[in-house]
Amino acid sequence: MKKLFKPFEKLPSNQVTLIYVGWTALLLLFWIITASIGDKHLFPTPAQVLKGLEGLYNEGLVVHIASSLWLCIRAIFISIIISLVVSYISPIPLLQFFAKTLSKLRYLPLTGITFYLAILIESGRTMQIWVLVVFMSTYLTTSLLGMINSIPQEEFDHARTLQCNRWEVLWEVLIKGRMDYVIEIIRQNLAIVWMMLVTVESIMVASGGLGFLIKNSDKFMNHGRIVALQIIILALGLGIDFVLEKSRKIFFRYSKI
Amino acid sequence: MSYKLTDTILYVENLSVAYGDKVVIKDITFEEKNVVREGKITGQTIAFVGRSGRGKSTLFRALTGLVKPSSGRILISDVTSSMNNSAKEVKEGDVGFVDQKYTLFRNKTIHQAFMFALRKKNMKDDAKEELINHYLTTWGLEPCKNQYPCELSGGQRQRTAIIEQILSSDYYMILDEPFSGLDVGNIENVKEAFQLISSEHDLNTIIFSTHDIELAVELADSIYVIGYPMVDGKKANYGTIVKHIDMKKNGLSWNPFSADHLDVVNEIKTAMLQS
Repeated sequence: MKKLFKPFEKLPSNQVTLIYVGWTALLLLFWIITASIGDKHLFPTPAQVLKGLEGLYNEGLVVHIASSLWLCIRAIFISIIISLVVSYISPIPLLQFFAKTLSKLRYLPLTGITFYLAILIESGRTMQIWVLVVFMSTYLTTSLLGMINSIPQEEFDHARTLQCNRWEVLWEVLIKGRMDYVIEIIRQNLAIVWMMLVTVESIMVASGGLGFLIKNSDKFMNHGRIVALQIIILALGLGIDFVLEKSRKIFFRYSKI
Repeated sequence: MSYKLTDTILYVENLSVAYGDKVVIKDITFEEKNVVREGKITGQTIAFVGRSGRGKSTLFRALTGLVKPSSGRILISDVTSSMNNSAKEVKEGDVGFVDQKYTLFRNKTIHQAFMFALRKKNMKDDAKEELINHYLTTWGLEPCKNQYPCELSGGQRQRTAIIEQILSSDYYMILDEPFSGLDVGNIENVKEAFQLISSEHDLNTIIFSTHDIELAVELADSIYVIGYPMVDGKKANYGTIVKHIDMKKNGLSWNPFSADHLDVVNEIKTAMLQS
């Protein structure tokens, strides 16, 4: 028992699982109790959440989920292409400027960007995608630059001693040799897109999506639906995270990040 | 033990390397010749010893062509030339280099790494496969040929890193502190690897650095001490060769470690402490 309170103590995995299950059960119990006592309470009861979920399902929840996922996939795809190109050319002294500048743009406020995007883009859906792209690209590029900087000099020297010219070094060490890191970086930065979903989807409600649903529920103070949607968004995010993590381990056997 | 010296295989003249204003090594000059022993294939084993920060790694980076010398030149045998004793300036890829971490491509299996090392050799694929299989078998790597570096033991990593460089470069191999942080078993593995390389071809030349002076004296037939020289009665702050011991000349090369070897160890230690 003492071990449970000892800092840095390593516990068997079944004990760790038991601890997590215990805390989750306590959290659920706390929710049920606090939501059931008195007239006024912060969170809706589990029954209200289930009712909200049922309502959402009847109103086409699956279609909205698909809409949100499709939006995310398109935004992530474009962001990855932009970030990878900009990062992979960053070792070239003349072109390093682009990656460094894109990385610094992460400090720009959202409002300023949406204003200019609104002038340039006519379609609301395209606007949603590009807002996500602009933000995700800045964070992805920052992480990719960090990955490039952390490659030990020995790896570049090793390639050079094997008669690789500089372009081969770039290809072998940076691009081919770090593909698994790219998946990991996407996984870590995906949370940014997911978090911004509500904000972005509220730009144009006609496209639907989880963001639209949550905003709509918020307008009518339907707490059961709001919490149900939060749980769905969290579960979907964790699901994508899990799939990416598993894919990295399956496709890149050598990856021990 | 009888031997004779033939062509020059490595010639370094007035080599200096500086990073910005900081001169790391200066005026390094030495020459190594091909050693020929009757009835026995023997490559050259050259050791560089010296205290930390004296420029051994910088010298190695220059010898492998990874860093451009500020002045001086490095010549190695031009094996592609039909002329006798012809030499060429060293460039990236001519000299194999194994760092103390035994760095490998993390995304290539042993077999893929060897194939990659041979990619520029003018050989048919079948001949490449045959050569790879020869090394895999001789060096005991056959069972793990499809494994990635992260799945290999320390000893397997060392052997893979060494073979990869043998396959890619011609006859020269530099190892930067190959014995650093190794246990007794792995030290023996590297010593065996040295013998294997040396027995493969007369021109094979191993250049290594170590802080283990006993090992340097046991393995090398030529030992250079790198240290800070005394200039006008004051210790300079750049590295250069302060002592050279020719183990062939004093009859200690290729012999079991003895009391005479210990004398050399003490001689080297004294030179190191003074520089």
